Amino acid sequence: MSRRYDSRTTIFSPEGRLYQVEYAMEAIGNAGSALGILAADGVVLVGEKKVTSKLLQTSRSAEKMYKIDSHVSCAVAGIMSDANILINTARLHAQRYALSYQEPIPVEQLVQSLCDTKQGYTQFGGLRPFGVSFLFAGWDKHHGFQLYMSDPSGNYGGWKAAAVGANSQAAQSMLKQDYKDGLTREEAVALALKVLSKTMDSTSLTAEKLELAEVFLQPGTGEVQYQVCSPDALGKLLAKAGLTQPAPEA
Amino acid sequence: MVGKNCFAIASDRRLGVQLQTIATDFQRVFKIHDKLYIGLSGLGTDAQTLYQRLVFRHKLYQLREERDMKPETFASLVSAILYEKRFGPYFCQPVIAGLGEDNKPFICTMDCIGAKELAKDFVVSGTASESLYGACESMYKPNMEPEELFETVSQALMSSVDRDCLSGWGGYVLIV
Repeated sequence: MSRRYDSRTTIFSPEGRLYQVEYAMEAIGNAGSALGILAADGVVLVGEKKVTSKLLQTSRSAEKMYKIDSHVSCAVAGIMSDANILINTARLHAQRYALSYQEPIPVEQLVQSLCDTKQGYTQFGGLRPFGVSFLFAGWDKHHGFQLYMSDPSGNYGGWKAAAVGANSQAAQSMLKQDYKDGLTREEAVALALKVLSKTMDSTSLTAEKLELAEVFLQPGTGEVQYQVCSPDALGKLLAKAGLTQPAPEA
Repeated sequence: MVGKNCFAIASDRRLGVQLQTIATDFQRVFKIHDKLYIGLSGLGTDAQTLYQRLVFRHKLYQLREERDMKPETFASLVSAILYEKRFGPYFCQPVIAGLGEDNKPFICTMDCIGAKELAKDFVVSGTASESLYGACESMYKPNMEPEELFETVSQALMSSVDRDCLSGWGGYVLIV
């Protein structure tokens, strides 16, 4: 193997690959998965929580979903500490744009700037890449609802449906089969839950293991809303989709 | 001005450059969140820029802490931001009014370099401030209900700006 080309991020291997970037993607492949689906009237983000111990007491409302600005949010897969840094950077960038131009940052510009940061860590400085993949969901007046996926290399793409994290290949191919244009948010939620239930490792799917967030326009005011589903509501959705399995009897 | 579990914040509408009136609908009272408002008198451009910078800071605070800023905290933030420019200040005198915990009204004012002044009854700023002090002092009563507070604030504002040639062209009163 080309082991001697592993240790530095800033050089290519003889086959033309960046090993450190690929190893970062490996790390993400071991983390909890996240799914994003673009619907006609919103974007749906679903995440799998890896750590569900009773002892965990988080002060934050969600573990995998983060709000970047009032009109952009993201789901995270990978090393959470790396994600925190990038999310902070994204938030600052969005606010600086709003301060200069007095209008909300277009979603693609935000994604692009974050990916530029990630790319910097693959080309200079000698620091390792960020071990995080993001699914950005947002709305702006130029392109409406959008979903973007970005990875440690700094590449990003706009998607109608995307998956990152563990079993993302399987999830992505399932989404490719079942996704239809013009889905409503409800249908998108049902599809996301169905795909996640099939690709998740755990035997029983409960509301505690999942997080669901939706980005949509408020009917009355037209403002962009980011809503994290409460555990009770999520439990009801799972039951409606026929996905809850009773926990195995001890 | 503080009332019973409510507050009022008011301003005039004139934007002028010495004797010339540029606008008669200039906004000087800005919302930070539902229970926190800031009024900025003084140089128009500094008022707008300062407000935009405060929105920047407050939005980041909301994203990180997942809650709105308390009025006392916000006042400290404004004071710090003003003092950062100690030797090249924003020519603005803020008036901050908000409802804190248990909807207890909070008001304060500060000078253009951030010296906070808390008050229990009313705070004023602007070219007509001396006149306003007099009017508020005579018309203020503790624990006014919102309707009475509105009347009091409007009368105090109108009578003071009428005696000041640089203020006027209407008024804007907000009760929370």
